[in-house]
Amino acid sequence: MGNDQPTDLVARMQGQRLNRRRLVQGAGALGLAVPALGASLRGQPAFAQDAPAVGQLVTVSEQQRSTWLRNFNPFTTDNLWPTGNGVHEPLGVFNLLTGEIVPWLATEWSFSPDNLVLTAKIRDGVMWSDGQPMTARDVAFTFNLFKPENNSGLLGAFMWDYLASVEASDDRTAVFTFGRVFTLGLYDVMGQNIVPEHVWSQVPNPLEHTNENPVATGPFTEIPVFNNQYWELHRNPTYWQEGKPQIQGLRFPAYPGNDQMLFATTNGENDWAGNFIPDIENTYVARDPEHHHYWFPATGDTVMLYLNTTVAPFNDPNVRKAISLGINRDQICAVAMYDYTHPADGTGLSDAFEDWKSPEAVAAGDWVTQDVDRANQMLDAAGLTRDGDVRKLPDGTEMSYDLNVVAGWTDWVSACQIISQDLEALGIRARVQGYEQPAWQERVQTGDFTMSIGWSTGGATPFGYYRGQMSTQRFKAIGESADENWHRYTNPQADELLDQFAATSDEAQQRQIAAQLQMIFAENAPAIPLFPGPQWGEFSTKRFTGFPSEENPYALLSTYAPTRLLVMMELKPVAAQ
Amino acid sequence: MAQTADERPIPIQTTPAGQVVPLAPDATGGAMPATRRSAVFGGVRRLLANRKAAFGAAILLMFALVGIFAPVIAPGDPSDFVARPHQAPSAEYWFGTTGQGQDVFAQTVWGTRVSLTIGVLVGIAVAIIGVVVGMTAGYFGGRVDDVLSLVMNVFLIVPALPLLVTLAAFLPPGMLTIAFVLAFTGWPWGARVLRSQMLAMREKDFVSAAQISGESKVRIIFAEVLPNMTSLAVSGAFGATVYAIGAQAGLEFLGLGDISTISWGTILYWAGNNAGLLTGAWWTFVPAGLCIALVAFAFALLNYALDEITNPRLRAQREINNVLGRSKEKLPKRARATPVVRRAG
Amino acid sequence: MRYILRRLGFYAVAAWASLTLNFFLPRMMPGDPESVIFARFRGQLRPEEVEALREAYGLSDDPIFLQYFTYLTHVLRGDFGLSISAFPAPVTDVIATGLRWTLLLGGVSLVLGFVVGNALGVLGTWRRGSLLDSTLPPLLIFIGSFPYFWLATLALYLLSFELGWFPLRHAYSDRLSPSYSLDFVQSVLIHLILPAGTVVLVSIGGWLLGMRNTMIATLAEDYITFAEAKGLSQRRIMFSYAARNALLPNITAFGMALGFVLGGALLTEVVFSYPGLGYQLLTAVRNLDYPLMQGLFLMITFAVLGANLIVDLLYVRLDPRVRGS
Repeated sequence: MGNDQPTDLVARMQGQRLNRRRLVQGAGALGLAVPALGASLRGQPAFAQDAPAVGQLVTVSEQQRSTWLRNFNPFTTDNLWPTGNGVHEPLGVFNLLTGEIVPWLATEWSFSPDNLVLTAKIRDGVMWSDGQPMTARDVAFTFNLFKPENNSGLLGAFMWDYLASVEASDDRTAVFTFGRVFTLGLYDVMGQNIVPEHVWSQVPNPLEHTNENPVATGPFTEIPVFNNQYWELHRNPTYWQEGKPQIQGLRFPAYPGNDQMLFATTNGENDWAGNFIPDIENTYVARDPEHHHYWFPATGDTVMLYLNTTVAPFNDPNVRKAISLGINRDQICAVAMYDYTHPADGTGLSDAFEDWKSPEAVAAGDWVTQDVDRANQMLDAAGLTRDGDVRKLPDGTEMSYDLNVVAGWTDWVSACQIISQDLEALGIRARVQGYEQPAWQERVQTGDFTMSIGWSTGGATPFGYYRGQMSTQRFKAIGESADENWHRYTNPQADELLDQFAATSDEAQQRQIAAQLQMIFAENAPAIPLFPGPQWGEFSTKRFTGFPSEENPYALLSTYAPTRLLVMMELKPVAAQ
Repeated sequence: MAQTADERPIPIQTTPAGQVVPLAPDATGGAMPATRRSAVFGGVRRLLANRKAAFGAAILLMFALVGIFAPVIAPGDPSDFVARPHQAPSAEYWFGTTGQGQDVFAQTVWGTRVSLTIGVLVGIAVAIIGVVVGMTAGYFGGRVDDVLSLVMNVFLIVPALPLLVTLAAFLPPGMLTIAFVLAFTGWPWGARVLRSQMLAMREKDFVSAAQISGESKVRIIFAEVLPNMTSLAVSGAFGATVYAIGAQAGLEFLGLGDISTISWGTILYWAGNNAGLLTGAWWTFVPAGLCIALVAFAFALLNYALDEITNPRLRAQREINNVLGRSKEKLPKRARATPVVRRAG
Repeated sequence: MRYILRRLGFYAVAAWASLTLNFFLPRMMPGDPESVIFARFRGQLRPEEVEALREAYGLSDDPIFLQYFTYLTHVLRGDFGLSISAFPAPVTDVIATGLRWTLLLGGVSLVLGFVVGNALGVLGTWRRGSLLDSTLPPLLIFIGSFPYFWLATLALYLLSFELGWFPLRHAYSDRLSPSYSLDFVQSVLIHLILPAGTVVLVSIGGWLLGMRNTMIATLAEDYITFAEAKGLSQRRIMFSYAARNALLPNITAFGMALGFVLGGALLTEVVFSYPGLGYQLLTAVRNLDYPLMQGLFLMITFAVLGANLIVDLLYVRLDPRVRGS
């Protein structure tokens, strides 16, 4: 069908094209200036410009959804992408690249000398999008909203593990009282998005509230179009930052899967995307070298190979190190990761903590570059004798295991296939076994695995990473569900250091403690770091500029990072320059 | 309560993969009691005398050989990373390399094994289930038929692909799961056709004779009647094999198969994931698709030929409508009525 | 009348069977909805909070038969619970967005495939031995041999992405809101060309062959010979006598094919990002979203059953023989 009559088709196509132009003119009449229109209409296939012809709306590809559902509830996981750090705003925006918190709804903050009381000054002159002023009372209300005693199941509840109370001492001052010393709670508290008391106090069940017409303080609050396959988010006319945002708004076509996202991004339809793109130089940049750019800093969570340390022989640090020595990380980075990242070192820290790294610990972690001979020697020494192709445990069982991975995450699957081949050379069989993401996660969380690839915890400091890797506090028995420490490793010395870390707000002291934690990790190899995860970000400068990049790293390009709020402030249409 | 027998005639067999295979059983054609061996051998000989069938069989033979001799044709582990990613076909790598630097030719060759094995396994399983259920229902009739037909019809009407996807996601991943799921959703097609044929067969003299001579029902069904229905059972198995190969590839393409084994479906899955088409690496996408198409085409040809042989009306125009072209003679243009060659019996 | 009653009975049984299958399948297999939810809230929830979520999701510790009856009553009320992957949206809200597009895509491609395939089948048999008759069937079989998703992906890449002739995704242009305006209808049609066209392309072969076979059988009937003897025109014999009778069995097959086209729309929808039920089902499966999966599976099944019922009623009108029996 259709193919029979190309001329007829082209005619219809052109009809469609005219209609679109008319539409755009309509949009212009509504007050949306369309200076870049002429340029974007020329020389493009008829349907490719479905997106670009829309003046000052930045097309964003972040969530993959088959259909959009209207949910702007910042306390649920399935809200729409800009709900937090976009529609709603936090007290402060943590910038991983500088290690600083950028003041946002809070202008300044400080801990009491005993680190038990955090006082934050709330910005004056900020209005909710319905015209009411935003005050410290809204802040206190927000934190008390997700307090488990008041409402269960809301995101953020975990903060009440260390918080004792949150109150507004006056309109401009929020006071956070801690139940125990935990200075790192600062990052959680500051990152919390704030909701208006006068609206949310009327919501009977916040967990099931979809907040379809959000009242918020963010740069984008108006939703003129919302269809199942497409929606737009326009600027907040009363935004508190003068002259910002400099764009009319954001637009979101629904891309149900990788393929669709790839087609649209490489076609130049997306201005800003946070997606993994294979072979990006060829697939994306080569299509329009002048405008298509990407930036994948390896500042994401480190991807790890987890060995269940409750299972012999993986309770032996030397066996874990030997396995690590068998792995060709260069090949993993080149083949599975398209050279977007580099091998991890023996501290396991990502590039975000480059200046936290202790050179001694890096040197002590000498088990991360491939050395098959040494690996074999260590395995022999551990009493794992080789019988033909396969090694055997002292009790005679073959070293043959499943290596679990999320079935659809092809970069990980590919990495696992390489690991499997590498381990084969050591006499260890690792069968790559894919599971759907929830099923995979259930297995690692309950400890129902022997080998599994997995993510680790990031955060503002190395604290989160090492707590996740070695803390007794995060340890759960096999069968119980653990959020972190899936490999079930504990180290009393590390526990002590982590407690000290969380008890001080002095960064110099934190750095010193971090160095010791790194050394413990490098000596014991609780888990096997593979590579720091790249944070995906692509942008096209065809219609908009101001994106962060390696040359201008004011924030992460990744749409996933909280710093997206900083990026939204800087974006401007090309013609406006 | 409900009616169960199929009241609506089914002229064609539509397999769940959407492949529609002509399968008009010749319920009027005479069936003669035949010894199993002569029926089978005679059938094969007659089948291969048909040019379409011979062509189809040749294609299948080629793929079978490729599958069997995979270690000789493409030695080594096909999942090894041997070269730079996405290299175009060359003398060294005939089909180029994948987005991860694996040899596409080696993968295609080894993929033949897995894909064909699953296909044939499912084909056989479906044929067996179909024969047992369909012939039992047809022979016994009455309540047995009511119940079995109801089950068949329910399975027929429940949309297969959504069921397939749901099942595949829940069972532990692996090739056996896929084979099980495909057989589970694919069996009623053959069973239904065999049932209606059995209904017709039941009235034949040789069946009555066997009944009178006191043969057991199992023996009558499987030793007396079955040899006369071989072509139907075989045709059903062919259809199911095609369905299995296609549906397996579809599941794997959706990422619901075991993506670390190498089959035609997983090759396509990886081609998609590594942006094979976008980077212009068509060679990661085309060979596996062509292989699936060739195998399916070969089976379709065999079924087409089977149909011609068992359906005398179609046979008459076999010479004219030759798949491989080369029509030797033409019927007079105005002759409409179909010449029928009836066998005595 | 009895015929219709019996068919109704059959559909009731089929509906009940799929309801039951639908209930038990996910529950008998490995994977546990509770830990799935817990996994989704990655490190954010404590046990008592999980408990609160369990209630919201309608997961209970009741004996399985009690859960089954609760399930049946809920389904009868049209209440499929809340989606896990799109929490807190009710399943019916998620499904409501997709049903009409699946029906549109499935209906259009099925009807087009049926009409074109049967027409070609009649024409081919009429001009038996002609070029059309000798080349078309094998060609269509060959095209139909390719995996559908493969052809569709290739078509999308070549025709939409490289050449830009067709839209890359969705059921209508992003800039339009659903309405009965000319612009919108036109946009829907243009977005339908490629998804429906590819389905039609791979399906006409089957219809053609089916029609051809029954036509050949019908042409051997005595009444055709009689009509010929009467000196009726070939055209009249072909269309008024042969084709009309040969079409009947194909209409039954039409009902059967509904299942494939509506169910098989899954692949079409995935490849072309068509916002129907099929893609949602795949997403639900990937997220192990039990309530959504159940709702979607049922919705697709019921759509197929309903369509079959309509075909049955049509059949009664077309074939007087069933009316009598």
